[in-house]
Amino acid sequence: MGFKIVPRYGKSLKDKLYLPALFGGMKTTMSHFLKNLSDTSNIKTECYPEMQPTDITSRYRGVHRLTHRDDDSVRCVACFMCATACPAECIFIEATQREDNVDEKMPKKFSIDLLECVFCGGCVEACPCDAIRMDTGIFTFVAQKREDFVLNKEQLLANKEGN
Amino acid sequence: MNAILVTVVIVNIILALLFSLGAVPILVWVERRVAGFIQDRLGPNRCNIAGFRLGGLVQSFADMFKLVFKEDFRAGDIKEKFIFRISPVIVFVSAFLSFMVMPFADNLVIGDQTFLMQGLPIDFGILWFLALAGLSVYGIMLGGWSSSNKYSLLGSVRAGAQVISYEASMTLALISLLITYGSVHLVDIVNFQSGLIFGFIPAWGIVMQPLAAIIFITTAFAEANRTPFDIAEGESEIVGGYHTEYSAMKFGLFFVGEYIAMSASSAFIVTLFFGGYNIPWVGTQMLKEHFDIVMIAILIILPILSYKFRGWILKNNVWPKADDKRNNESKWLIRVLIMMNIVIILLFGYFLLFGVASTATNIAVALIQIATFAVKLLLMNFVFVWVRWTLPRFRYDQLQELGWKVLLPLSIANIFITALVVVIGA
Ligand code: SF4
Ligand code: SF4
Repeated sequence: MGFKIVPRYGKSLKDKLYLPALFGGMKTTMSHFLKNLSDTSNIKTECYPEMQPTDITSRYRGVHRLTHRDDDSVRCVACFMCATACPAECIFIEATQREDNVDEKMPKKFSIDLLECVFCGGCVEACPCDAIRMDTGIFTFVAQKREDFVLNKEQLLANKEGN
Repeated sequence: MNAILVTVVIVNIILALLFSLGAVPILVWVERRVAGFIQDRLGPNRCNIAGFRLGGLVQSFADMFKLVFKEDFRAGDIKEKFIFRISPVIVFVSAFLSFMVMPFADNLVIGDQTFLMQGLPIDFGILWFLALAGLSVYGIMLGGWSSSNKYSLLGSVRAGAQVISYEASMTLALISLLITYGSVHLVDIVNFQSGLIFGFIPAWGIVMQPLAAIIFITTAFAEANRTPFDIAEGESEIVGGYHTEYSAMKFGLFFVGEYIAMSASSAFIVTLFFGGYNIPWVGTQMLKEHFDIVMIAILIILPILSYKFRGWILKNNVWPKADDKRNNESKWLIRVLIMMNIVIILLFGYFLLFGVASTATNIAVALIQIATFAVKLLLMNFVFVWVRWTLPRFRYDQLQELGWKVLLPLSIANIFITALVVVIGA
C-alpha cells in the first residue's frame, strides 16, 4: 500500500515570522469589506420578510395538503398508511363510510400536528392514492396558540399547490 | 481669564467623555457592521427611530437600553458580594481614566495663557496609562474569582497570566520609545513626531521605532483583551470567561469597559506611533501661518467628498420595501449633508474675506487637530476590529510562548539597539 506524505507547514522563516500570513489574511478580509461597503448589493443576504425567497423548488417539503379528486371531493381513503409510516406519530385520522359510491372509505377527521411533524415526507411516500402532498411551498407556519398548529381536514384541503 | 480656563477644562473633559464613553455605541456599531461586511453579511440594519437607521447605529442604543433595563441576576452561591459588585466598576473606571491623558490637540494658546488639551492636564501621561491599564486586570481577576464559578475562575487566571507576560514586553517596548523621544509627556512626544526625517518622511514613531511599534501594538491587543488574545473570555472554551456570572448592567460595564480600553489603547498607539493629532507634513506652526490655504483646501475637498458620500447614500441606503418609512432617510441625510456644507462654506468664506483673529485661528487649528485625532483614532479602532475578524484566538501555550520567547527578547534587543544608536549619534 502506498502512503501519502502530508506536507508540514510552519518550518520556513516566512511561516515562523507569522506576520506575512497575518497580513495576507488581513488583505483577504479587507477586500471583502471594501467590496461590500462600496456596493451593498454584493451581499446576498435577503431582507426577509420584505424580500421573500424565490428559490423554493417544487420538491421542497413544506406544509402538507390533502389533494382532491376530479369532482373536488377528498382523495384520501383513510387507509392509515401515512399515520403508520409517520415517525413522529402526528397524523390523527378518524375514518368513516363513504356514501357516494366513489370509494368505500374517507376520513371524517384528518389532522396533522405541525409542532410534532419533522417534515420527513414519509406520509407522502406512504400514501397509495397520492392523497397527501407537501408541495404547498409554505415554509413558515405561525400561530398564536399550540392548538392552532394542529391543521384539520378542512385546512389541509384548502391548502393549494405552491409555486 | 479664569472663565476661559474653566471653559477649556470643561471642553476637554467633554471631549474625553465623547472620545471614550460616547464612542462606545459607535465602536459597537463599527464592530458589528464591519464583521458583517467582512463575512459577506449585512450586520444590524433594521432598528430605526421614525425611519432613521443611521446605517444601523440605532441598534447600539437599543442594546444599551436593553442592558440597563434587564434583570440584574446574581447567583446565590456568590459570597463576596461587594467584590462581585465592584469589579466591573474597576474595569470600567480604569479604562475610562486611562483615556483621560490623551492629548487631542497641541497646546492651546488663548491670549497669554496656554492650555493642555487633555482631559487631565498632567505631564506624565505614559506612566498614567501604564498604571491604569495594569489596574483594569484586577477587575477581571476579582470578578472571575468572586463569581464562584470554575469557568470564571479559569478566565480570570488566564487574564492574570496573560497580563503578566505581556505587560513586561509592553513596558520594555515603551522604554526604547522613551529613549528616542526623551520625554514621558505625551504632548512632547507628539510634537517630536511632527518633524521630518530625511526631509520627506514624517518622523512618526512607526518609522523611527518599527519593532517597538509591532511589539507595542501586539501587546496592546493583549492588554485590551481583544482577539487574538481574548483567552480570558474564550467563549468557545470557557463559556464567557470572567463575565459568565454577570448580567444586565454589571455585564454592560464590563462590555463598555472593554470597548473603552480598546479605544484608549488605540488612542495611545496613535499618540505614540502615528503622530497623534499631527497632520503629516503640516505642523501646528505651519497650520497657524497658512490658515488661509488650509481653509481653501477644506473648501475644495469637503464638497467633493460630500458629493461622493451622497452618491454612496443614494446607491446603498435603500430599503427593499418601496413604501417603507426607512426609505425617507436618505433624503434627510442628504439635506443634513448639504446644510453642513453650506454652514462651513459660509463660515470659512467669512473668515477668508474678513480675516481671523489669532485666538480664533488657534481655536480653529485646535479643532482641525482634534478632527485629525478623531479620524486617526477611528482608523486605529477599525484596525482592532479588522484584526479581530481576521485572526483566530491563540492557544494558551502559544500565547505564553509568543509573549516570553519572542516579544520579550525582541523588546530587550530593541532597547539595546536604540541606546546604541542614541549614544553613537550623540
Ligand atoms: S412529514 Fe413525516 S413527520 Fe410529518 S406528518 Fe408526514 S410522516 Fe409525519
Ligand atoms: S392520506 Fe393517503 S396514506 Fe394517509 S390515510 Fe389518506 S389515503 Fe391513506
